[in-house]
Amino acid sequence: MTDERLEQPQRVWGYRGIPGHYDEVLQESGLPRRPWRRIVALVNRMGLEQFGRRWEQGRQLIQNNGITYNVYGDPQGKDRPWPLDPIPLVISPKEWAGIEAAIVQRATLLNLILADLYGPQRLLKELRLPPELVYHNPLFHRACYGVPVPEGVYLHSYAADIARSPDGQWWVLADRTQTPSGAGYALENRMVSAQIFPEAFRQAHVRMLTRYFQCHRDGLLSLVQTRRDNPRVVLLTPGPYNETFFEHAYLARYLGYTLVEGADLTVRDDRVFLKTLGGLAPVDLILRRQDDAFCDPLELRGDSLLGVPGLLQAVRTGHVVVANALGSGVLETPAHLGFLPGLARQMIGEELKMPSVATWWCGQEEPRRYVRDHLNELVIKPAFPKLGSDPVFADSLSRQARQDLLAEIEQRPWAYVAQERVALSTAPVWTGQQLAPRHVVLRVFAAWSNGSYVVMPGGLTRISTSADSLVVSMQRGGGSKDTWVLTTEDEEPSQLIQPSRQLVDVSRTADLPSRVADNLFWLGRYTERLESITRIGRSLLPALSGEGDLGNSVSTEAGLRILAGLGYLPLEMVQVSPTEQRHWLEKTLLALVFDPNRTTGLGWNVTQVKRIAWQLKERLSADTWRILSRLDEEFPQLPTTGSSQRLLLPHSLLDGAILRLSAFAGLAMENMTRGHGWRFLDIGRRIERALQMISLLRYGLGAAGGEEEAQSLDTLLQIADSSITYRSRYYTLLQAGLVLDLLLSDEANPRSVAFQLATLSDHIAKLPAQEAGLRHSPEAKLVLKALTAVRLAHAGDLVQAGENGEREALARFLEEMKHDLETLSHTLTNRYLSHAVSSQLVASA
Amino acid sequence: MLYRANHTTRYQYSETVSTCHNEVRLKPRTLASQKLENFRIAVTPSPHSFADRKDYFGNDVRYFCVLEPHTELILTASSTVRVTPQEIPPPGSTPAWERVREYLRQAPDWEALRAYEFTAESPLVPVGREYEAYARESFFKGRPVLEAAVELCSRIHRDFVYLPSSTTIDTSVAEVFRTRRGVCQDFAHVMIAMLRSLGLAARYVSGYLRSGAQYTGAEASHAWVSLFVPSSGWIDLDPTNRVIPTDGHLTLAWGRDYQDVTPVKGVSLGGGQHVVTVEVRVVALEQAPSSAAV
Repeated sequence: MTDERLEQPQRVWGYRGIPGHYDEVLQESGLPRRPWRRIVALVNRMGLEQFGRRWEQGRQLIQNNGITYNVYGDPQGKDRPWPLDPIPLVISPKEWAGIEAAIVQRATLLNLILADLYGPQRLLKELRLPPELVYHNPLFHRACYGVPVPEGVYLHSYAADIARSPDGQWWVLADRTQTPSGAGYALENRMVSAQIFPEAFRQAHVRMLTRYFQCHRDGLLSLVQTRRDNPRVVLLTPGPYNETFFEHAYLARYLGYTLVEGADLTVRDDRVFLKTLGGLAPVDLILRRQDDAFCDPLELRGDSLLGVPGLLQAVRTGHVVVANALGSGVLETPAHLGFLPGLARQMIGEELKMPSVATWWCGQEEPRRYVRDHLNELVIKPAFPKLGSDPVFADSLSRQARQDLLAEIEQRPWAYVAQERVALSTAPVWTGQQLAPRHVVLRVFAAWSNGSYVVMPGGLTRISTSADSLVVSMQRGGGSKDTWVLTTEDEEPSQLIQPSRQLVDVSRTADLPSRVADNLFWLGRYTERLESITRIGRSLLPALSGEGDLGNSVSTEAGLRILAGLGYLPLEMVQVSPTEQRHWLEKTLLALVFDPNRTTGLGWNVTQVKRIAWQLKERLSADTWRILSRLDEEFPQLPTTGSSQRLLLPHSLLDGAILRLSAFAGLAMENMTRGHGWRFLDIGRRIERALQMISLLRYGLGAAGGEEEAQSLDTLLQIADSSITYRSRYYTLLQAGLVLDLLLSDEANPRSVAFQLATLSDHIAKLPAQEAGLRHSPEAKLVLKALTAVRLAHAGDLVQAGENGEREALARFLEEMKHDLETLSHTLTNRYLSHAVSSQLVASA
Repeated sequence: MLYRANHTTRYQYSETVSTCHNEVRLKPRTLASQKLENFRIAVTPSPHSFADRKDYFGNDVRYFCVLEPHTELILTASSTVRVTPQEIPPPGSTPAWERVREYLRQAPDWEALRAYEFTAESPLVPVGREYEAYARESFFKGRPVLEAAVELCSRIHRDFVYLPSSTTIDTSVAEVFRTRRGVCQDFAHVMIAMLRSLGLAARYVSGYLRSGAQYTGAEASHAWVSLFVPSSGWIDLDPTNRVIPTDGHLTLAWGRDYQDVTPVKGVSLGGGQHVVTVEVRVVALEQAPSSAAV
C-alpha cells in the first residue's frame, strides 16, 4: 500500500469528465476513485507517449488475431477490426457484488417469466402482464408453446446492458434473452489487454473470466439427457456473414465445441445429427447463436432456410437440448420493463435489486397519456424491435413529424414504448493523442449452472462514438473496453478442460463436418492456384527487362505463348512484332498481378483464399490465419503511378507471396494433425498442382520449336520451380524429353504430375468408407488409372512432333489426364462433400 | 350431413429430393357441429417416421419425414365427417360491436382472453386505417356485431373479384385490398384485417367445401373467417361464397392466418423445380344439404 500512497497522482492524464455525468474514474474533487488508483499510477509512470506505443502493439494483436465485427450494409466489406480501447473499465469488489446479485435475480426472474409464457400462462390469466406484450409480440413463437425443456431452464445464458446515472446508480437498459452475444468478445478483450498491460493486470488483482465459462459449460452438460458421459455439443452459427461470426468461431474453439451451420445438421427419428465425413454423428446439445425464427424452417419462419428442419420436433421429444430454449426472444422487448418490479415481488417475493430505465409502454392508457404530455423529453422506441429500427428523439422532430408520430401511437399503441433519456456515465478513451471522455454502457453476462445463475466477473464495456452521442452500439460504430472487476484475494487461473467423472473412450478423431472438409479442399486448391499464378508472374517478369540472371533468360515469345495457352490473352497476340509482344506481355503481367476482377489473376484468388479462410476461422491456427491475412493485406489495387514504377512493385510483391504461401504449406505439413481435414486440404492442393502442371506442359511443350525451344524449356523449368534439379542432372543440355520426364513422370520431384497422383492415391485409400464393399471405389479407380498412365508413359515418345511441328500425342495424353483429374474432383465432391444441395420450402393449400 | 372427403397433394420435382420434413394439418377438428368418424393419411414414398400432436390452437398436426430419395411425393388424406349446422343467433340480437370490442379488451375470462389474441396483427394480416375505413360503412355506431359482419361479408363478395391464379401465397393483403381480386385465402385475410382493425377478434379457418356447382373454391381446400361473438362463441362467415356456413363446410384447422394452418408444408433437400397439384373431393354420403344464403 505504501507505493500507492507515494504515487498518489496529482493529475490524471490531463483528462476531465463531462459535467452532469458520472465519471467512472474521477471523483468531483478531480482525484481518481479508489479502484482506479493503481491503473492511474501505472499510466502516469509510463507516460502517455509510451502508453500510445504499447497500445499500437495491442492494435497489432487485434489485427493479427483477426478479431472482427461484421457491420450490416457496410460497403467496405465483411469485416472490420474490432475496436478495443486500451483503458479498461475498473469496478470495485463491493460494487460488483451489488451488480452480481442484481443480475442473478433478474436472470432468475426472466427465466420464470419465460417458463410461464410458454407453459401455464398464469401471468396472462391473472392479468399480471398485459396480454398484448405476448399476443402482439412477433418474438412469441406459438410453435414453441408447451415444448418441454429440461429442468425448466429456458435462459441458459443471459446478458443485460447496464449503465450508470449521474448519482452513481446502475440501471438496466435492455435484456438479451435470445442469443446474448459479446461474452466471447469480452474474453478476447481480456486476452489483448492482459497482454498489453501485464504489470497492471498482475498488480491490480483482476478477477479471471475462465470460471464463468467453466460453469456455463458444466451447466449445459448437466442438462443433457442423452449420452451423458460424452455428449456432443455444437455451436450453431448463422454463418460467416453474421455480424458476430468471429465470436462464434472463437467461443467454439475456446469451449471445445464443433462450430456448425444449419446445413451441417440433419434430423432423423427426432434426433439431431451432425453430417461428418465419417457419417452421421449424434448431437446432444446445441448452443445456438441463431435467432429463434431462423432455427427451424419447418415450424418457425418458413422464408428462411438457415436452420434445421425438424429441430423443434427433436426438442419436443427430448432428444436434444437447445440453449437458449427456442422462443426465449419474447422477452427482448423494452415493453415488459415497467412490469418487472411487480413481477419480482409476486414471483420471487423480492424487490428488484437494480431498476430498469424508466419505460412507458403505450399499450396502456395512463402511460400513453404521460408519453403524449412529455413527448419531447422521451426517446420513442418500437416495443418489438426489428433490425435497423432506430430510437426517435421527439424533440428533434418537426411539428408535422411529431403529429404523425402521435397519430401512429394512437393507431397501434401496443407497438410503442417511451423511455427516459439516461445521462450515461463517462470514462476516458484513448483517441490516439489524448484521453477524452466517452459514454459507456456495460454488458454483463450470466449463465445457468447448477440450479442458479453465475455472473461473468467482467463484461463487455461499449463506448459511444463521440462525447455528445448517447447511442452506444457496435452496429453503429462504437468501440469497446475490457472490464476489470477487482478482487482482494489472488485468484488462481483455472484450466478449462476438466477431468470427466467417467472414463471415456480415447478419441483420436474430432468431428469434421462435411462443409468444413469442403472448405479445406478448396483452400488447398486456391492456395495452390495462387502459387502457380505467382510463379508464372515471377518467372516471366524478367522478360520485360530483357535480361534475367545468367542462364535465366526468358524469351518474350515463350512467355506470351504460355500465357496465351493458359488463357490470359488471345493466341493471335503471340504472332506480332517484338515491340508489340513486349507491350502485350507487360499488359498481361500487370493485369495478372493487379486486376482484382480477373478470375485467373492474383487479386481475385487472394480474395477467394481469404473468404474460405474466414469460414474456416475456428479450424485454422492463429499463425495460419496471420499468414493468410498478411497475404490479403499485401495486395494493393493497381497503382496509378508510371509504368516503370508499376513494374518495380510486382517483383517484391510476388516474392512476398511465394514466401507466405510456402509458410502456409509448411504449417499445414508440420502442424496439422493427420486427420481427414488435413487430408482434404492436401487432396485439394495435389489435384490443383497436377492440373496446373498439365496446362503448363500442354502449352509450354505444345509445339516443337527450333532455336526458341531452349528458352521455352528454360521458362517452363523456372515456373515449375525445377530448374535447379534439372541442372544438377543435365547441366545446360535442354531437351524436351528430359524436361517432360522430370515434370511429368519423376515421382521423386514434388512438382511432377506423378508425385501428385501417387500422393492422391495414398490419401484416397485412407478416406472413410473406402473399404466398404467395393474393392476399388470410383475415385480410387480414377487415380489408379491416371497414375498407371503416367508410369507407363515414355517421355521421349510423347515429345515426338508431327509434320506440322505439333506434339499431338502429348496433347492427347495431357487432355485425357486433365479430364480424369477433373472427374476425380467431382467424384470426391459428390461422395464426401455434397452439402451444397439447397433445401426449399414447399407448401400447398 | 355425412361426408367423405379426399384430399390429394402431389409434388413433382425436376431433381431428386433426398430427404424431406413435413407438417400437415389435414385432420378435421372435432366440434359441437362436426364429428370425425374416420380418418387416415397415406404417403408415398412411405415416411421413415411420423408423430402426431396438437398445436397452440388445438389443431391436429402430423409431422413426418421421408428419407427415401424421390422425385414425386403423393399425400392423400381421407376423412369421413358428420356435420350439423352451427347454431347461429339472430344477427340483430347480437351485442353492439363497440361493446364486443370493449368486452375483449376487458377479457373477463380465459375464453375471452384467448379470443382477444385474435385481435392482434399476425404475420400475414396487418391492421390499419384503410381496412377500418372500409369496414366502418357496415359497422356504424351501435350496430349489432353479427349483423354488421354479415353485411361486410356481402360487400367483400360484391366488391372483390374471385380470380383463380390472380394471387400467390406471397401476395400481401395490402395488394389484394388495392387490386380487389384474389382467391378464398385472400378474401379471408382481407376480412380478418378489417375486423381486427376495428378491434374485433377474427380467426382464419381452413377446411373443405362440399363439391359440386354450389360453391366457389370447392376444387381445392378452402378458407373462411370466424368472428368472436360473446355468449355465442365463434361464428363462421365465408366471404368467397357470401354465406354463413351451415353444413356444407368442413373445418380442418384454425389460426391467426394461413401461416398458422397451412394444410401441407415441408422442407425438402434438393428437388430443383417443383410442381404441386391439389385435388379435393367432398361427397355427401347422405341427402339434401342446406345453406343459408346471406
